[in-house]
Amino acid sequence: MGRIQLKNVTKSFGDVQVIPPLDLTIEDGEFAVFVGPSGCGKSTLLRMIAGLEDLTSGEIEIDGAIATQVPPAQRGLAMVFQSYALYPHMSVRKNIGFPLRMAKMAQPEIDQRVETAAKSLNLMDYLDRKPADLSGGQRQRVAIGRAIVREPAAFLFDEPLSNLDAALRVGMRLEIGELHERLQTTMIYVTHDQVEAMTMANKIVVLRAGVIEQVGSPLHLYHRPQNEFVAGFIGSPKMNFVTGTEAEKHGAATIGIRPEHTVVSMSKGSWKGRVGVAEHLGSDTFIHVHDTGVADMVTVRVSGDIAVKHGDTVYLTPQADQIHKFDAQGLRL
Amino acid sequence: MSARKLPRLLQTPAVLLLLVWMLIPLGMTLYFSFIRYVLNNLRRPEWTSPSLSNWRGFGNYEFVLNSKDFLFAIQNSLFIVCSILFLTVILGILIAVLINKTFPGQGIVRVLLISPFFVMPAVNAVLWINMILDPVLGLQGIAVGSINELLDSLRNAPLLGWFFSLWPDLAPISFRATQTSAYAVIIMVTWQWTPFAVLIFMTSLQSEDQQQKEAAILDGASTWSQFRFLTLPHLARPIAIVVMIQAIFHLSLYAEIEIVSRGNGNKNLPYLIGEFANNNIGAASATGIFAVILANIVAIFLLRMIGKTLME
Repeated sequence: MGRIQLKNVTKSFGDVQVIPPLDLTIEDGEFAVFVGPSGCGKSTLLRMIAGLEDLTSGEIEIDGAIATQVPPAQRGLAMVFQSYALYPHMSVRKNIGFPLRMAKMAQPEIDQRVETAAKSLNLMDYLDRKPADLSGGQRQRVAIGRAIVREPAAFLFDEPLSNLDAALRVGMRLEIGELHERLQTTMIYVTHDQVEAMTMANKIVVLRAGVIEQVGSPLHLYHRPQNEFVAGFIGSPKMNFVTGTEAEKHGAATIGIRPEHTVVSMSKGSWKGRVGVAEHLGSDTFIHVHDTGVADMVTVRVSGDIAVKHGDTVYLTPQADQIHKFDAQGLRL
Repeated sequence: MSARKLPRLLQTPAVLLLLVWMLIPLGMTLYFSFIRYVLNNLRRPEWTSPSLSNWRGFGNYEFVLNSKDFLFAIQNSLFIVCSILFLTVILGILIAVLINKTFPGQGIVRVLLISPFFVMPAVNAVLWINMILDPVLGLQGIAVGSINELLDSLRNAPLLGWFFSLWPDLAPISFRATQTSAYAVIIMVTWQWTPFAVLIFMTSLQSEDQQQKEAAILDGASTWSQFRFLTLPHLARPIAIVVMIQAIFHLSLYAEIEIVSRGNGNKNLPYLIGEFANNNIGAASATGIFAVILANIVAIFLLRMIGKTLME
């Protein structure tokens, strides 16, 4: 069980309110991702759930019971830190067993649980090593192991992959996703990387300056962003925004078109422009088009390879049914 | 070849200087320890200048080993050093952990805590033995006296007087006495060197990883467990440093012993060397060699012990 509810939660550091009143419910078994630019309060929110930060006001409920005053260890939550926070003087075995030892569990049971966790995380060969002798990915797995053995109501991840190199990050992303499928435990995951959010989450919570901009499934956020911020944050490359007369034609202050929803032609189309940089990835081509007259730069994504180069003239046509319309306040029309 | 020769050549003066600095005194001590060499002897004036013709073999060593103070001096050296180490490390850790938290006036408190370290050893000894530990005029005498006065007046109180009359009067301790002079030295040196331990431990505590502590909190570790499983292992190396440096310094205590009791009931090896050196340089040199051996044994022993128990 792990249903976490935030009710009217606020947080101030001195006079600065970093989180204005905020309500959020994370259902049991959900994989919720808090995503937003750095400084948006997502880590603070996670630490408040964990109990490492006090609430300025409001309530946190875990499984229906008010947990605001419950000490961190008794909330039944396990956290994986960005720096892994492994205990450097202890072997992997002792690191993973530490929460059980603190819970005064009998040694044979600790050993058994540690072995089970280590097996599932492929750590059997490293049990007697110290954290300093492990690679980044292995340390990450030890940190996850230390969380798993407690059989928590929910896992909290604080940017766990940001210290890993790109290839390892993709691998660990899959492993964490796999772990969630296997355990079906609630997970709350904080990241600034929208790719991690899109690939892992059941529910994405987009935050800006402590305010929830939108909550929803990855594809819902992708197809129906509630405002310009979410539209620009979710999706890669970023959505193109067009203002002025071109937007007024669609009855909006701003229109947004995703790079993959624009048709590129060498001969005819709505907007004429000059190719700046063309990034050929093989599977896709990202073309950055200048001088279209509608925006400083329009990015388009073409599936497969297309023979364009710097300085070429191209014509762009947005797909009419994929145009997102926003009013002057940036809200979806 | 020449690429290696030049740096070596440039290092040579420094290395030579260090070697000369170390080897000449050590060599001379060894030499004196094997000959008869005294400063003043009317019957055998030839012993007053060092010469190989006064060769005594291991005679000086035998003389030192058989002198009544030698074993006592070794035992007392170890007692003083180990007591000071124990007290400074414990107090140092406690104070360092205490002042590691932020509180108003932190800067001033830290400066005050460090200040005993800047008092000269001899001054420190004079201050303590005369102003604090003196059984009549010192703080101790005044405190004991006023407590006794208070007890006296309580004995005369109605109703409860009989209860306090069961209490004995307190007797002040004379720290210059044969039995207690070592304690006086331990107290004053501990006071002076605790700041050193605090300083080293404090800097180390500030480099402790806070996320590890948070992880431990979430893992259900109590404050004590956090201290025992995170802070103490983190402090292992600084503790080793404090113990090592202090062991080296305190094996050669002199001023405090001289000022407290002139070695009465409280000698260590350096003090014994000083006593021999009043006349018998040969015996003093032999004791010096024993002191070198003792220092090395202590160093090896301490390093091993600390390395094993604390590094886990």
